[in-house]
Amino acid sequence: MYKGWKTTASLLVASTLLLSACSTETEETATPVDLKNSSSEVTLASDMSKNPEAAKKRNDTFIAGMSSPQGVFNPYFYHNGWDGNVTSVLFGSLVDVDKSGKYIPSLAEKWVLSDNQLTYTFTLKKGLKFSDGSPLTADDVAFTLTMLHDKTYDGETDVSQVQIKGGQDYKEGKATSISGIEVIDPLNIKITTEKVNALSLQILGGPVLSKAYYGKNYSPGNLDHLRTLHGAPVGAGPYKLEKYIPGQEVRTKANEHYFAGKPAIENFIYKVTTSDTNLQLFQTGETDYDGFTANPDNFEQLKSLGFANINVMTSSAYSYLDVNHKRHLKDKNVRQALMYGIDRKQIVDATFRGYGEVANEPISPISWAFTPDINPYDFNQQKAKELLDAAGWKAGADGIREKDGQKLKLTLLTRKGNDALITIAKQNLQDIGIVLEVEVMDFNAMLDKMEKGDYDLSSVSTPGMVDPAESAQNFLSTIADNGYNNPAIDQLILQGQSTLDIDKRKPIYQKLFKELNEDVPSIFLWYRKSMTAHNGRIQGLEPNAYTGIIGDLPKLKIQ
Amino acid sequence: MAIYVLRRVLNMIPILIGVSVIIFFVFAMTPGDFVDSNQKLTPERQAELRALYGLDKPVLERYFIWMGNVLQGDFGYSMQHQIPVTSLLNQYLWNSFMIAVATLFLTWTIALFIGVFSAVRQHSWFDALVTLGVFATMSFPSFFLGLLLIKFFAVDLHWLPVGGMISTGSQTTGWAYVWEVAKHMILPVIVLTVLGVGSLTRYFRTNMLDVIRQDFVRTARAKGLKEKVVVYKHALRNALLPAITLLAFELPGLFAGAIITEKIFNWPGVGQIHMQALEIRDYPVLMGLTMLLSMLTIVGNLLADIMYGVADPRVRIK
Repeated sequence: MYKGWKTTASLLVASTLLLSACSTETEETATPVDLKNSSSEVTLASDMSKNPEAAKKRNDTFIAGMSSPQGVFNPYFYHNGWDGNVTSVLFGSLVDVDKSGKYIPSLAEKWVLSDNQLTYTFTLKKGLKFSDGSPLTADDVAFTLTMLHDKTYDGETDVSQVQIKGGQDYKEGKATSISGIEVIDPLNIKITTEKVNALSLQILGGPVLSKAYYGKNYSPGNLDHLRTLHGAPVGAGPYKLEKYIPGQEVRTKANEHYFAGKPAIENFIYKVTTSDTNLQLFQTGETDYDGFTANPDNFEQLKSLGFANINVMTSSAYSYLDVNHKRHLKDKNVRQALMYGIDRKQIVDATFRGYGEVANEPISPISWAFTPDINPYDFNQQKAKELLDAAGWKAGADGIREKDGQKLKLTLLTRKGNDALITIAKQNLQDIGIVLEVEVMDFNAMLDKMEKGDYDLSSVSTPGMVDPAESAQNFLSTIADNGYNNPAIDQLILQGQSTLDIDKRKPIYQKLFKELNEDVPSIFLWYRKSMTAHNGRIQGLEPNAYTGIIGDLPKLKIQ
Repeated sequence: MAIYVLRRVLNMIPILIGVSVIIFFVFAMTPGDFVDSNQKLTPERQAELRALYGLDKPVLERYFIWMGNVLQGDFGYSMQHQIPVTSLLNQYLWNSFMIAVATLFLTWTIALFIGVFSAVRQHSWFDALVTLGVFATMSFPSFFLGLLLIKFFAVDLHWLPVGGMISTGSQTTGWAYVWEVAKHMILPVIVLTVLGVGSLTRYFRTNMLDVIRQDFVRTARAKGLKEKVVVYKHALRNALLPAITLLAFELPGLFAGAIITEKIFNWPGVGQIHMQALEIRDYPVLMGLTMLLSMLTIVGNLLADIMYGVADPRVRIK
């Protein structure tokens, strides 16, 4: 299962490649980007005769660009989202995500949830095999989940969120196996959890590691052998690793044991590219697919190539200003005043030049949980001033608002490259009597300051998100470390997590997001768009926000 | 001489220890750590991971653990690549080295010739043109020059590849492989040479001009030696002496990687690894690479002194 990125360093670059939207082929020809119709646009190749020789000659190989794989090709150990992409190709998972972010069976034939929503029974497809030809059975699933509970497991998958029965005992060494994991027969496995959690399925239905291969020499507390295998993965994905050349390429070959049949394209290669020259590589036919910085110049250039199919998609993430609720901004009126008082539309237009839109709720418009029925907080400084007055912040002699002898000064933490946000927000806030002090720093330094509570606002983005619960839980008072605490919101969040039925969850989330829009726990900024292009000779590729190109990979063809 | 060298080598030990203390603490004091970079982790899991990585221990203790391992030849595991730091550096270091050596050779050869010629013909047309050219190339930003060359030679003319070290998916071996890598090296080496040759040319020219005015050159001329012998035997040799120091100082540069140029040409060099390690706070890699470069700097320094002594009897230490 595609699990989003693991490191934030790759976050910004990654967004161009991984985030996208449900692709509906709306137009045959290019149109200017239409902000009203936000989810996705496809521009098809207009003149395939312009396709460069280099690409035409390559009739059994698909080359996709990516930023920086690091060679940790194990879905539970990588620290870098690019390695995550590679593992998605090499490892099949029980459950996958479709283009609208809903769970669908993959290696699993089906899964059944007990009435109390605590017990999951997975049934595997018949005849599954790993890329080395060995059978994939329920034992392998059990091994994978057990390994995640090992006390020396230091990867970033947090299996404790699922609360499998007996998992903690195993971790602490009190038991030699996990009582909640029960292999019924080679095709069926039952997992008993102790808490209803909508996110559990993502973890339980994740990639499967071979017990025979990865579990060799395994004893609790000893993952040493497994760690030596990061460079020689064995999985059940559509492709298997042929060769990794550090800093250059990840070469894979079609897996003849893949459950849905061997993919038609024999070779799939991830080539390391950078945003400086990925357009040139694409233009000369050295790559077939890449993600590009979404802006009008790149779009025009790609269009003029003639052989490019261009996808412009809204990301599944959103950007916001994290709010420190322990200082001036604990007052809802002040937070709302910021929403009204900052011209977010102008910031978005200046930053993305048509390839972004204003966010007003903490969920992407491509999610099934998105609700359009909310306050858009259109730029209105008069309203902002009224809200500040109501909150008791009155303009002082120098025009700066004060209350109880304190001036209304806010500190904003941000990374480099947020020029529009800094300049426009500073000016806007000055106009309504607020001083904004900006500190520019690198990401880890920013997180450190946030942890210490030494800030008022901090400009961040979420990673790509599949389930609305991932976004919602950040506002839970037990998880939010910025001091946000709203019992009514807490209750809605827990309610949304406590069932897996989308029809039941939808109204809960719509209500939740409406209330969050009203309560403004953070200053919502924007959804950005990403732009990808692929060579027109690759047939059947419709990149989307949740699975990137990986969902389509097994069924691609080269014309 | 042997004792002098030995003393200098022993001297390196306290210097390296001092350097390691400074670097370790500076990195440790940089806000945020490796675990911070993943936003998706819960605070409990973050604490667990810090304990597993040993990041929860006091900085001083971490330093001694690290130092203890290094003394046993263990530079630790890269946190993000999950392989030993030495293997990681081995994967990338030599790629940077290849480019750097080719660049060094070209830069020095070109700079030497041009510098000497323009010194001998000071105030000539040639000299004026060289001076102009030198300042022009020095002021080029590397990314601009790189992108310009890519546009001309790769995109428009298709003579050379856009970037990378080999053609994607290439199966070549032996000489075909060497040729392929060489073709990919051409553009990055040109960029780095053009950028580096300017200042070095000025350096040789100035040295040469200094020497040419000295008394022993005049004596040589007075003896009736041919101008060629005066310039290339007497003057040039002396003018090259200070260059020895400069050359030895290039040693760490051979392994440091050229971050911007490597990035533009997708060259799998060590510069990228260094930057990434810094961003993600991959302490073992940061420490390993920085220590290697410090050591090379110190060794380069030592080599400079020794070579100077060999070349110039006047400064030889008894």
